[in-house]
Amino acid sequence: MATADARKCIDKNVCGGKTVEDGDEIHGSDCESTSSFNSSDYSDDLEPEWLDDIQKNGELFYLELSEGEEEAALAQASANQGVATNHVHFSEKEAEILTEQNKKQRCTSRAKGEPTLKRLARILRRKRWPSQLKGGGKDGSKENSALSSAPASILKNQPVQRQGVTVQQQQLKEVCVYLNPKRLAGSSTPLSEGGGLLEALLGVVHRPSWTRGLGDPSEVKQEDRLTIHGLIPNSPAIKCGQILIGDVLVAVDDVDVTSENIERVLSCIPGPTQVRLLLETLAPLDDSSAEDTSSVRKMKAAPPVSQLVRLLWGEDTAELQMSIGHIPHIVMYLSLKLDSASPQDEEEILYQYPASEASGQLKGVRGIFLTLCDMLENVTGGRILSSSLLLGKQLVHVGYWKESNNLLVIGLPAERVPLLYLQTVVGDVVRTLKVMYGSLDRAFCQADRAPRLDHFFCLFFQQLIQPSRLRDGSSAPPTDVSGTLFLDGLPAVRWLTLPPEIKMEVDTVLSDFESSDFGEMSEDFFGLRRLYVILGSCLFYKSYLIANHLPKEDLLDVCLYCQHYCLLPLASEQRVGQLVIWREVFPQQRVNHSSSTSPGYSQPQGRHFLLIVGLRHFMQCVLLEAGGCASPALGSPGPDCVYVDQVKATLLQLEVLEAGIEERLNAPPAPCLSCADWFLPAATARDRLDSLASSSPVFSKLAGAVKGSSAGSRGRALFGEKARRSSPQRSLSDSGSEGQMDAGTSMAPGLSPHSTPDSGRKLGGRRDSLGSGGSEGSGGSGGLFKIPRMRHPNPFYLGTLKKTLTERETEEMYNTMKLTSGAENTLFHYVLMESVQGIFIAPTHREVAQLSGSIHPQLIRNFHHCCLSIRSAFQQSLPARGRRAADRPQGWGLGPVKEHGVLFQCKPENWTDQRKPAPTMTYWVIGRMLLEPVPQEFYVCFHDSVAEVPVEMAFRLSFGLAL
Amino acid sequence: MMLQHGSTQLLCLTASSGVPLFTRGASKQLPFSVIGSLNGVHMFGGGQGVVLSSCETEGGGKVVWRVFQDSVMLIIVSGGGQDGAGDIKEEEVRLQRLLENVWSCMVLVLGQDELTNVRNVERLKRDLRSCFSLIDQLLEDRQQGVLGNLTHCVDSLLPPNPTLLQEALDSFAQAADSEFGCLIVHGRIAAATEKWWRLAPQEVVLLSALIRSLTASGSASCDYPVFLPHGSPTVAHRLLRFQLLPGADVCVLCGPTPSLHSAESGMVGRFWTPLVETLRDCLAVGEHSLPKSVSLHPDVLALLLINRETRRSVSCVRTSTNRPLGDPPLPSKARCWEILKLFYIFSTTRYFNQEETLCVSPEERAQRGNTEDFICGFSHQPLQCYLVTEECKSYGLQTPQHQLFVLAPLSVPTFALRGVATQTLSDIVAGTGF
Repeated sequence: MATADARKCIDKNVCGGKTVEDGDEIHGSDCESTSSFNSSDYSDDLEPEWLDDIQKNGELFYLELSEGEEEAALAQASANQGVATNHVHFSEKEAEILTEQNKKQRCTSRAKGEPTLKRLARILRRKRWPSQLKGGGKDGSKENSALSSAPASILKNQPVQRQGVTVQQQQLKEVCVYLNPKRLAGSSTPLSEGGGLLEALLGVVHRPSWTRGLGDPSEVKQEDRLTIHGLIPNSPAIKCGQILIGDVLVAVDDVDVTSENIERVLSCIPGPTQVRLLLETLAPLDDSSAEDTSSVRKMKAAPPVSQLVRLLWGEDTAELQMSIGHIPHIVMYLSLKLDSASPQDEEEILYQYPASEASGQLKGVRGIFLTLCDMLENVTGGRILSSSLLLGKQLVHVGYWKESNNLLVIGLPAERVPLLYLQTVVGDVVRTLKVMYGSLDRAFCQADRAPRLDHFFCLFFQQLIQPSRLRDGSSAPPTDVSGTLFLDGLPAVRWLTLPPEIKMEVDTVLSDFESSDFGEMSEDFFGLRRLYVILGSCLFYKSYLIANHLPKEDLLDVCLYCQHYCLLPLASEQRVGQLVIWREVFPQQRVNHSSSTSPGYSQPQGRHFLLIVGLRHFMQCVLLEAGGCASPALGSPGPDCVYVDQVKATLLQLEVLEAGIEERLNAPPAPCLSCADWFLPAATARDRLDSLASSSPVFSKLAGAVKGSSAGSRGRALFGEKARRSSPQRSLSDSGSEGQMDAGTSMAPGLSPHSTPDSGRKLGGRRDSLGSGGSEGSGGSGGLFKIPRMRHPNPFYLGTLKKTLTERETEEMYNTMKLTSGAENTLFHYVLMESVQGIFIAPTHREVAQLSGSIHPQLIRNFHHCCLSIRSAFQQSLPARGRRAADRPQGWGLGPVKEHGVLFQCKPENWTDQRKPAPTMTYWVIGRMLLEPVPQEFYVCFHDSVAEVPVEMAFRLSFGLAL
Repeated sequence: MMLQHGSTQLLCLTASSGVPLFTRGASKQLPFSVIGSLNGVHMFGGGQGVVLSSCETEGGGKVVWRVFQDSVMLIIVSGGGQDGAGDIKEEEVRLQRLLENVWSCMVLVLGQDELTNVRNVERLKRDLRSCFSLIDQLLEDRQQGVLGNLTHCVDSLLPPNPTLLQEALDSFAQAADSEFGCLIVHGRIAAATEKWWRLAPQEVVLLSALIRSLTASGSASCDYPVFLPHGSPTVAHRLLRFQLLPGADVCVLCGPTPSLHSAESGMVGRFWTPLVETLRDCLAVGEHSLPKSVSLHPDVLALLLINRETRRSVSCVRTSTNRPLGDPPLPSKARCWEILKLFYIFSTTRYFNQEETLCVSPEERAQRGNTEDFICGFSHQPLQCYLVTEECKSYGLQTPQHQLFVLAPLSVPTFALRGVATQTLSDIVAGTGF
């Protein structure tokens, strides 16, 4: 079939040269590395590259990675030639690499073939099938994808092109493929004429007649052999990426197959399972055939594309899923209304995923879930929420969600998701599904949804069960499950505060876009009603939300979708060449609001569409409304080029601000953070300085300054004041080593021996440079916070400071933003959630990474795990809060929790010294719920040496944190 | 809705056949069909290799299944709190503990043989009636100040002059030809022989509960056959109990001799008459459990102190003295006990370990594994924790030897709690050597 397609393309090429021209032009413009791209360049006869990927129902998920930084630069240099990135592996870029390997051969034998190949490549690129190979241009990234193999094999089957004599060696290879006969019923692929199961199930095209026609004289008994003549798009065979056209299928699960018995063998596969295929592949020894050399080379190259991206592209799900097959997990959508008149096997299962052995066991006991759901509501008067089961040794928590007459059951291993948080996880999945499909019934009960739901839940389970696997191949730090659970479970989005002038520009650009004031979109232009009204948009930069013009609930809906598809980490870790997502969504607030007046779903105001466009590290999510004051949407409209291009133009416009945002990200943390390792005597003062110096250039400057400067009298006076405030000093058992003591005293006599370089020592000097004066006065006031904080109460808004201070002073400013009280900075980590706006702030990934250390990452994991517990304590008390104390009957639990703290102790790992006990460090993790002045939740982690009042810390941190 | 809010019903069935043996608790018994289905789902799962362990519903309702010795199935159904405020996790631990206690108490009264080799179900049903008073006591959990059922640490009372009592008890036990003897004051153990402390903590807790229920019957002395669930589940011993003063009882575990009569007439008077004044002092300590010599920090509303090595605990709730006007009202005494229990469960399920190496077999550990998986997720060791609610502040701390849980009024600043707690711990340990 692939061959057939290719031929068609060639035919087209012959009869209409125009196509090729188009191809060339698109090729030039879609590198997107050119900042000159803007909508005016765009002419209507150019098709955007994502056009072919639009599904029948109008949805689009198009993801294209850009090349690495150097390649991008290279592309820029050669941009005027019109070829920047190449999307098919044997176009120019590839050839260049090959040049290095066998230049001569290429020059001699391939020179002529080159132009035609390139043309063919472009045509193929344009005509590729939807939802496969979006990784154009990523060298070696698509060894598993269809096109990289298919064209190579096409050539294999066309011996005309081959130059010289090819000696072919037969090699056997084993390929594992995941087959699901159940899908046959639901799939749109008809059992094609003559293709039978081989085509429908496996996706392999075999045409006996061709073999005879093209028969290779060196082979005998061609009639029986199952030569692969083509691969069907989206089939298991093409997804696995190792079955090439031209291969010969020899055996299925150790059963020898021929064209005679293949149908019988395949029909014996009862259910979804993994099948081992034995293939005979042709590996020509002839060096001159460049295609094959390249494909072999590709096989060896490590894929720089993470599993996540491949998962998003729809490849590889079977293999990933199989690697967690032994861990019990399941999702089922069961019907509670069983028609007993026609008892059919498994009739009550409307949807189920996955099909592993462990989940089969859970599927086997679905009767338990149904019975409990039915019965317990009558017994205890509440709907069932969860149950715990033991599968062998493994504890599994099962969460329930009942909607009308159906029941959603999600089973997860207890070691991944604690029972405390199961409810939140299930709630979030349900909400995501509702946002995407409107209701659970609509999500699960439409036959053609099954593959898409499989993909949805594959992502869901992979993220929960083996998040590290998804991120491998990228530079992400080892993920911590509790952290993901906690941060994703917060009804808020991670926010990055920006200097005001940048923030203002971002907001202006977004507002300009949202006003829909551009030519093609205005009603006057065409005299038509506009297609969509822009309800609002939000902008992410490297997974941080930097601007939001959406109401909170809409923001959360959009964010849930982004979280589920891992779009946020994607944008921060990998340069996204281009991301275009378009789909109809059902914002919960809007839908529920309207349905409260009229029961049942009717489309009252209009339909909503979500458009997400990502370019490089920017990602903009736009919520559109059709109907209402825009023209009503009919059918399932696909993305409108005008809107997509406008968002793209907006993003390109914002790119000038990237430097400013990067500067903010690179700035030293404010409020400044300490690394846990510094507080353990195992690390000497020297280590601390070194680690500081190595972690950021700013620190290194400071470290130098520290060494040079002598502690003046001001510094001493300052700490004199502190001492008067009688903040408890850390006990010696905590951390006290001679080395540290020495370093501390020699550099700054009079300081507490444990003060971190970035905290106390700088205070004196900085005061001076600020010239804010009144250090004596402030000491007398005895207030908890020192003058600088009073002058600049908001540690985030640094823009105004920058204007008045020199750069150096600003750096020092940053460095002394301190959240904790006391002489030294004891703050390790924090999370502050603003419930009203639906945002939270926490130290950025980069800030955390700078603190490196061996204990610190552990500490953060522990912090997040503890936050799970703290937050569940807060949530448990929420429903009770509504009532007045007098109404509460006796015996209603602990009651509303306002504040909860836990003190932890940590020891350095692998402590070998037998004589001395391991040094210890203790720290608090405290959560505080605030209702006034605005509802907030604050989680903080700091060293034990100073008693803190979390309310005040939260206040300090949140001061001025406003959108 | 078949079960009232806040009520708890215990179902007992034979594990193999699902014949109901008894149901206790809740005024209205669940219909038979419900009992059948509850048992049925568990059995069905068992056949498929899936062991159903617990279930929870909106509003804090909870069901916990547990099979003991492959012979008896206990199911507990709890109607949950009034407005859904009860924490799921807390409730589950309490119910798990309850089921273990109920099973042990059945063994205590009937012996393991009768429960595991059921020949005549009707007869077993009849025999089980003798456990009802004890089971009801466990279910209702009415007695204030007794936390042993929950903590599996023996509620103790620290008498002002322990040596006198200890000597008297030792010689009394010796005279009764027994190594196991204890003195119980106000339902808490004031003194016990060394061997008594070596019994499994759960056994001591249950024996205390049994003695309390026997005391409640009002008799001056009694002779009661008991099996020890861990020590001797198949051979019965005699538990002799004598009332010394109202509120003070002495007990011994012994073999066939001496007879109740001979012991009562010959020994009780001889050993305990000289100590009447000491016993009165002991009774005066009352519910505080701590001698007057130990002065508690004025900000301590209630405390529970556990010695992790000996598995003993002392607890007390202080009656509020004069509070300055305008302060928020303090929680009532009953509420303080309630909060203390809840806070204990809260802390131990999330942060502190409950070591029960003695009485928990590996299988049992697996069955209740779900209560401990959260603690395992911490990479660092939790030492202390506190909770600020609308009624009071709670503080818990754990050292290698002790666990202390303290309640304090809201007027105490949060950062001062730590000082209050550590001082309380050192005061008690220094004052009594607990």
